[in-house]
Amino acid sequence: MSRTNIIVLALILVIFVLGLWVLIPLEAERFGRSDLRKGLDLVGGVHLVYQADFENIEPEDQPAVMERALIIIQNRIDKYGVLEPIIQQLGDDRILVQLPGFTDIDAAKSLVEQTGYLEFREVELNGGQPATLNDYLEQTDLQFIDASEPDERIFVRTNELGENETVALLKYKDGAYYFEDPAGNTVAADSLSAYAASVSWIRARGDDGTPLTGDLLADAYLSTGQQSQIQVAIEWDDVGSIIFDQLALRLHDPAGQNGPYKLEHVLGIFLDNTLLSAPKVNSAKFEGEGVITGSFTLAEAEELANLLKSGALPMPLVQPPLFEEKVSATLGAQFIEMSWLAGLIGIILVMVFMVAYYRLPGLVSAVALVFYGVLMLALFKLIPVTLSLAGIGGFIVSIGMAVDANVLIFERLKEELRSGRTLGAAIETGFKRAWSAIWDSNVTTIIVCIILYWLGSSIVASAPVMGFALTLGIGVVVSMFTAIVVTRTLLRILIHSGMVRHLALFSISRGKQ
Amino acid sequence: MFDIIGKRFWYFLISGAIILIGVISLAVFGLPSGIEFSSGSILTVKFVEEVGKGDLEGELTGLGYGNALVQQTQPAGSFLIRTQRLTEEEGDQLQADLNAAFGAFDGEPSSQDVSEMIASETRTNAIIAVAIAALGILLYVTWAFRRMPRPFHYGTCAIVALVHDALVVMGIFSIIGAILNWEINLMFITGILAVIGYSVNNTVVVFDRIRENLTRGISADFETIVNNSLVETLSRSVNTSLTTFIVVLALLLFVGANIQNFVIVLIIGILAGTFSSICIAPSLLVVWDNKEWGRFLFWRKPAPAKA
Repeated sequence: MSRTNIIVLALILVIFVLGLWVLIPLEAERFGRSDLRKGLDLVGGVHLVYQADFENIEPEDQPAVMERALIIIQNRIDKYGVLEPIIQQLGDDRILVQLPGFTDIDAAKSLVEQTGYLEFREVELNGGQPATLNDYLEQTDLQFIDASEPDERIFVRTNELGENETVALLKYKDGAYYFEDPAGNTVAADSLSAYAASVSWIRARGDDGTPLTGDLLADAYLSTGQQSQIQVAIEWDDVGSIIFDQLALRLHDPAGQNGPYKLEHVLGIFLDNTLLSAPKVNSAKFEGEGVITGSFTLAEAEELANLLKSGALPMPLVQPPLFEEKVSATLGAQFIEMSWLAGLIGIILVMVFMVAYYRLPGLVSAVALVFYGVLMLALFKLIPVTLSLAGIGGFIVSIGMAVDANVLIFERLKEELRSGRTLGAAIETGFKRAWSAIWDSNVTTIIVCIILYWLGSSIVASAPVMGFALTLGIGVVVSMFTAIVVTRTLLRILIHSGMVRHLALFSISRGKQ
Repeated sequence: MFDIIGKRFWYFLISGAIILIGVISLAVFGLPSGIEFSSGSILTVKFVEEVGKGDLEGELTGLGYGNALVQQTQPAGSFLIRTQRLTEEEGDQLQADLNAAFGAFDGEPSSQDVSEMIASETRTNAIIAVAIAALGILLYVTWAFRRMPRPFHYGTCAIVALVHDALVVMGIFSIIGAILNWEINLMFITGILAVIGYSVNNTVVVFDRIRENLTRGISADFETIVNNSLVETLSRSVNTSLTTFIVVLALLLFVGANIQNFVIVLIIGILAGTFSSICIAPSLLVVWDNKEWGRFLFWRKPAPAKA
């Protein structure tokens, strides 16, 4: 037994033990990775691909807009507590959203697609009093009461349930004023008379006319006040800080927190023309930070903070999505079980066949196959490779192909033995002669895997193709290593140690010719 | 020693017949493309109650989805329903209607929806991938056979074998597809490419042995050399195919589902590839060397064996 063989054997054992340690238990964290990463088709979930509509966005702004959209979508999804969501840019103008384990596709879509436009409004004043819809309906010649504010009015009432309800919008276009219902249909003024008490809200603007919108918010989060009441803390960016303070100076209630709730002292938070909350402005100066207090439940406050933070997408998404897929989670779990079973049965049958046909070398190749399996799974965990059904398929197919190198070698070995070489010499020549065939036969598979991987990465709907190419490709490379290093070393050691002398063990019945 | 090469015309006959049937099926039924290539929606459902495929198809026709394709899939009792692209409302309505007709689903249904834009990109890229793969294999064959005595003969025969495998797979798949409502998808393309890679390397191993035996000069007769080389590599060819076949069969029996088409392609491909690398490619080499082409046309008795 030469020293080299011992060293190589020791190395193989170290790799094997390391592989086992990485793998077992699967959940354990090894080198920063835990568990095998499973594809959407195995854990269930939602896969969406959207096309961004950049029609109204300058090309040079598009990358920044895209980045912002991704953050907003990420924020929206984070609040649902989806584990390991994937939100990615595809190409220049597409967004991929994958939500493993989240199978409510309609909820997922509305979460991503909501075009929520977040803005801040104040109450329009009519002679120092809040203007109402009634004030407008009484006009003989319909026009904006506060002529300095040119944009639409939103009329909001408190309905029977105590909720804020948008009744109508008053718009001005091409020299004409007209009412719209919240769905965007033009409505006649007299149909609104039942809601005459609704209050008119106008855009809240800074001194230079810049409207205060969700874009200017830097952050919003849940916090607790001094009396441990639930509140929402907000932070403005640089521009927002200035405008907000200008507004606060104008709107603030001199009586402070203890003063009565008066509409002329509040700032309305509107999402898609719906009044979310109308907090009273209690200070004349905020310097970029503020809190919204009120009788929130925890969930309400959390929702408000999320809406404030996620706000609107900076560009619309084309409807419907380019690609959508939903995999039921129960189905995925069944597939995991079935594919493990298929892999196990496959590997055992291959081992049985190898031992039955090649005897001792077959047994060695069976051992090498166990090594192969452990090393592959450990690599899958560490790289990490996302295992889809097709990926597992690639792995299982690679088990069949992995023994190919062994088959080539053993066939050569038999020939060399038949031609009268000693065992030791036969093994060395066998390996040497088989090498070119092993190499040749693996090159085509590697070429195909590379092409397939490219195909997979270039196509939206092709996770399976990539998974297959990746696992099969890794499998081919690892199998060459196991055949050349593991099988050969084990055989050498067996033979040089003198443990094996009978040629029958090599399924050579006639002995030396 | 077996005489494999001697029966070469039987192989051509068998392959020819299979390919002919396949080509007829391809001409009649074609290879219908799945939603990845032609856009559309797929709904995968399983009902708590056992439902027959015919009943499901009947119900779908009643609902106005007469052109829907229904496929049985794994796990047992699941159906894959392929329709034109449905809107969210249509999809929800379809599920509700199916529930009304056949009762509740066992577990949540799965669905897939591909737009025309994605489908056309997929088509383009799949064609590019196949073209690159063909080019890559061609380059590889040229390279692998550069040491051969007549690289052109060997390369051509290997490529004929490869085209043979692709034709057999597509032909048989087209027949199965027509019976079971299967469509081709990306995994089908993946399977075809994997089969081609697999088939080429089997052929290369056989040809490599022919080259080796030629240089060793074991016989003056080319046919004998080819036959001996085949016999020597036979157990390798068969055993490798067998081990791969075993695992792929395990995949077919236990996994199926969305890789079902792919696994079937591999199974047909492994069989075709093994046959072509043992029987077709080396036989063609001999036919070419003996200039026996006339026998194809006139079906003459083989010339007396050379000395």
